[in-house]
Amino acid sequence: MRNASETLELERALTGARWLTAARVIALLALAAVLVVFPQTTKVGYLLSTGVVILNYAVTATGWNFMGGFTGYISLGHAAYFGLGAYGTGILVVKAGLSPFLALALAALIVAVIAVPIGIAALRVRGASFVIVTIAFVLILLLMFQSMGSITGGSGGLSLPRPFPDLIRTDHHRTFYYIYLGLLAVMLLAWWAIDRSRFGMGLKAVREDEDKARSLGVPTTGAKLVAFILSAFFTGLGGGLYALWFGDLDPVFQFSIMMGAYMVLMSLLGGVRSLFGPLLGALVVGIAIEFFKAQYGDTQFHLVATGLLLAVVVLFMPEGVIPAVKGLFARFGPQASSIREISAADLAAERDAEEASKP
Amino acid sequence: MSLFVQSLILGILLGGLYALLASGLTLYFGVMRVVQIAHSAFLILAAYLAWFFATSTGLDALLSLVITVPLFFVVGVGLQRLLITRLKPATLTMMSVLLTFAIALIIEGMLGFVFTGVQRRIHFSYGSASVPLFGAEVPVVKLVAFALAVLALGGLWLILKRTEFGQALRATIQNKEAAQLIGINTDRVASYGFGLGLATAAVGGTALAMDATIYPSLHWHWIGPLMAIIVVGGLGSVPGAAIAAMVLGVAQSLLQIPLGTTWAQTVFYVALFVTLMVRPQGFFGGRLAQRF
Amino acid sequence: MSRWTSRRRRTSALIAGIGATALILSACSGGGDEGDDGGEGGDDPILIGISLPLTGDFAEPGQGVQRGYELWADTVNANGGLLGRQIELKIVDDQSNADRVVADYEALITQDEVDLVIGPFSSRLVLASARVVDEYGMLFVEPAGAAANIFEAGYGNLFYAAPAIADDHYNYLFDYIMEMPEDERPQTASYATMDDPLAQGAAYGLKDKLEEAGITTLVDEVYPPNTTDFSGIAAALAEADADLMVGGTQYQDGVNMIVAVQQLNYQPRMAAFTTAPTLPEFVDALGAGVEGVLAPTGYSPTADYEGNAEFVEAIAELYDREPSEDEANAYTAGQVVQAAVEAVGCAEQGECQQELIDWLHSNTVPTVVGDLAWDEAGRPNGAHFIQQYVAGQPEIVLPVDQSTAEFINVKPEW
Repeated sequence: MRNASETLELERALTGARWLTAARVIALLALAAVLVVFPQTTKVGYLLSTGVVILNYAVTATGWNFMGGFTGYISLGHAAYFGLGAYGTGILVVKAGLSPFLALALAALIVAVIAVPIGIAALRVRGASFVIVTIAFVLILLLMFQSMGSITGGSGGLSLPRPFPDLIRTDHHRTFYYIYLGLLAVMLLAWWAIDRSRFGMGLKAVREDEDKARSLGVPTTGAKLVAFILSAFFTGLGGGLYALWFGDLDPVFQFSIMMGAYMVLMSLLGGVRSLFGPLLGALVVGIAIEFFKAQYGDTQFHLVATGLLLAVVVLFMPEGVIPAVKGLFARFGPQASSIREISAADLAAERDAEEASKP
Repeated sequence: MSLFVQSLILGILLGGLYALLASGLTLYFGVMRVVQIAHSAFLILAAYLAWFFATSTGLDALLSLVITVPLFFVVGVGLQRLLITRLKPATLTMMSVLLTFAIALIIEGMLGFVFTGVQRRIHFSYGSASVPLFGAEVPVVKLVAFALAVLALGGLWLILKRTEFGQALRATIQNKEAAQLIGINTDRVASYGFGLGLATAAVGGTALAMDATIYPSLHWHWIGPLMAIIVVGGLGSVPGAAIAAMVLGVAQSLLQIPLGTTWAQTVFYVALFVTLMVRPQGFFGGRLAQRF
Repeated sequence: MSRWTSRRRRTSALIAGIGATALILSACSGGGDEGDDGGEGGDDPILIGISLPLTGDFAEPGQGVQRGYELWADTVNANGGLLGRQIELKIVDDQSNADRVVADYEALITQDEVDLVIGPFSSRLVLASARVVDEYGMLFVEPAGAAANIFEAGYGNLFYAAPAIADDHYNYLFDYIMEMPEDERPQTASYATMDDPLAQGAAYGLKDKLEEAGITTLVDEVYPPNTTDFSGIAAALAEADADLMVGGTQYQDGVNMIVAVQQLNYQPRMAAFTTAPTLPEFVDALGAGVEGVLAPTGYSPTADYEGNAEFVEAIAELYDREPSEDEANAYTAGQVVQAAVEAVGCAEQGECQQELIDWLHSNTVPTVVGDLAWDEAGRPNGAHFIQQYVAGQPEIVLPVDQSTAEFINVKPEW
């Protein structure tokens, strides 16, 4: 009797899971279709540029999530790699005369190289000190890029020529929209591949319990460093693309803590454990920013709104919207896959609570 | 030579303010393992309250302390009890950074909303006066601000060393579980510790408002140096933070002579990276800091 | 009132855009076209799009520029409008942010389909917005982008609505110093300037000329825009004790620097600062310390220029004070656009814009800051006045033929 009912239960769970997968695939295809078709539906430059901006957010948030999502290390200063990518590309184009996309690739590689020593220094410590280092790195770069005027243009800024000088502005936006979309697809694929690899398992072990992972033989320091470099590389790529698209760089705007905070907010809102979490977060936050701006644009209220949104996410859904919605489904649907993740997180919470109270 | 003396004096005066502010910041970390990014936003809030008090009553801005210090203490206790304790212990450190970051944004936005983005400055009758010392000039307002910082730091030291609450607080910082075992109500101690930290921001804000123009986004310029100071001093160590603040404040002031203003500011970050490479637990803190 | 309605329009258009996307999502079919509602009528108001920093770092001067624009529009409307049509301003806030200023102009031009645009405030924001306005082929008259690099970028649609670019702001002062008797002339000079294209441009413009004329530079400090503690710079200035002190300042840094210098008891014989002394708050913050402080200004309330008396009167009526430089520059930008539109006889997007641009390149426009004409890159041909605080009031002291007070050669102690 018991066996039969268990089999039935299992079958039901499997069908449920199959349905869930199908629904997920359909939603994914629909989202992809919307993203691909969107630029063809309008010729209003503002909507197109907003589309590029939101994709830029999605790229940076996904880039952030290579570090934040896999390892649980929250960097508030990822704007540093964005700015380095942007300025690297700009300087290589303007001062060294490289072709735009060669400069972009080279700049992203340089960012990855720079990330090595920073990563080594930052990853020597955990939690609080790590966050402080990431913030400090943005601030120090801001000072440096302002001061080294002969190379960076200083506070006068750096202007790049258009990579496609023949295109009219709206077509320029469309072209960059698709380039960004391509980059985003590559990044999502890479994230997905890592998520399923041994390397990804090691990283997630760091997130759940770093000491235990190390004692089990996971090379935690190396794994974290690779994730950090990868994250910086992709963020730098996003920054370089932004430089080519936007054209005018200014240290104050490229190296801003606010921008790093947006990356965190977006990833967290969507859910750092999910492949599409940062993308979803970027859509929500990107549209919200435009909305707040349009609604409360001539007061400082947009800051309050951003702050409140961040506080709500941190307090009430630190796992993000996707897990929150999933949790809602799980409550009504068959209890399948998510049990393990939750219990692992809770276990980690208990363990950490214990350890925090130890000397 | 006189430039050196002058810079040294100015550096010490600046270091005093850094020391007071960094002590509050490191205190939160000690009792709660929380990095309070909003500390400098509260600092600017207190500065605005001092300015508002001075301009609307015509009294000396220093008197605003009578209101802001208790107010900030209560807000600090409330902040800890109502918000920080809601966070999961496993992710407390990371999430508290984000939560306090959100609070900083809200404060900045509300300041802009209420007082507009216009820069404000308190007008003192003794605003540009100075007293000569060793051939250098010591500005009176800076001296008053420094005295305020020293008094507050001294008060903090007395509370930590001489009162029963201070002992409980230090015990909580050093070993929370053991403190609980000997009957200390660590939750209450932590929330009072938080209130105490915020009260230092009230004093610091008033001191700041005495000799600077204030505007809502000013807090960003304080975050970096203060964060660097508490890591160099060793997270959670109040004396460590105070010493590091003084050393770095004087270093910044002296380095300005050969390097100029911009590069002198980088001393904080250079010290931060050196600390992490050489002595991650900080130069004055105990092994507590290592794990964070 | 107009700002509220128009803002709502933009929000709803954005929501419409998002809604259109959502429509495709649910129906899985392409082509959710939005209807064009832009019917051009002869009596419709002329919509002018402006993005300004009303919040953030440049909020203070940004609001001055806003007052100038609004006053210009009200004046034109009270006198029967432009080409017989009323002017409607659509002012949006760019939060002192370069990303936003570009998005704002993009939205104003492509979504709100404004007929004309006028420039934002601060060189940093002008530089970024000039490109988007240029790529849509529109005329761009701007009141605040004085930095030299803006004009080196080669935008043919750009016109700076003020007498001179940053490097030339101190020309009259330099000439005056050169005419002083050898023994009264300052022999040494110190410079402390914010790392900002406008502030630094003006200070270094003077520095280059003075160095060439043999006046020794003792201190040359550049500080980042976020500097709040000026005691270190003041210490260096006081130690050097130069005859002439030049501050490349904006606002809060100017006041802070002067207070810090006062505290260390440095008494230069001449002191000149950019921007800060031209703001009404400057005297409030420093009191008697302002006496003798010099500043370049593009505007004089007493100058006998086109429409100036009217403008001064209007400001006095509204705010009970004299106009600030920011207000005057914005008003000037309005006058320049007005002159071009009236001469060419059109104000809409499209070919009209190029006609406006061409007209401005080959004509001189009388404004409240004097007669303005521009070179190919949009540099104006005039010179800035030199203002000095005399008996607590900002007075024009140079050039002598426009002066309202005598130049004080040796600044009283501050």
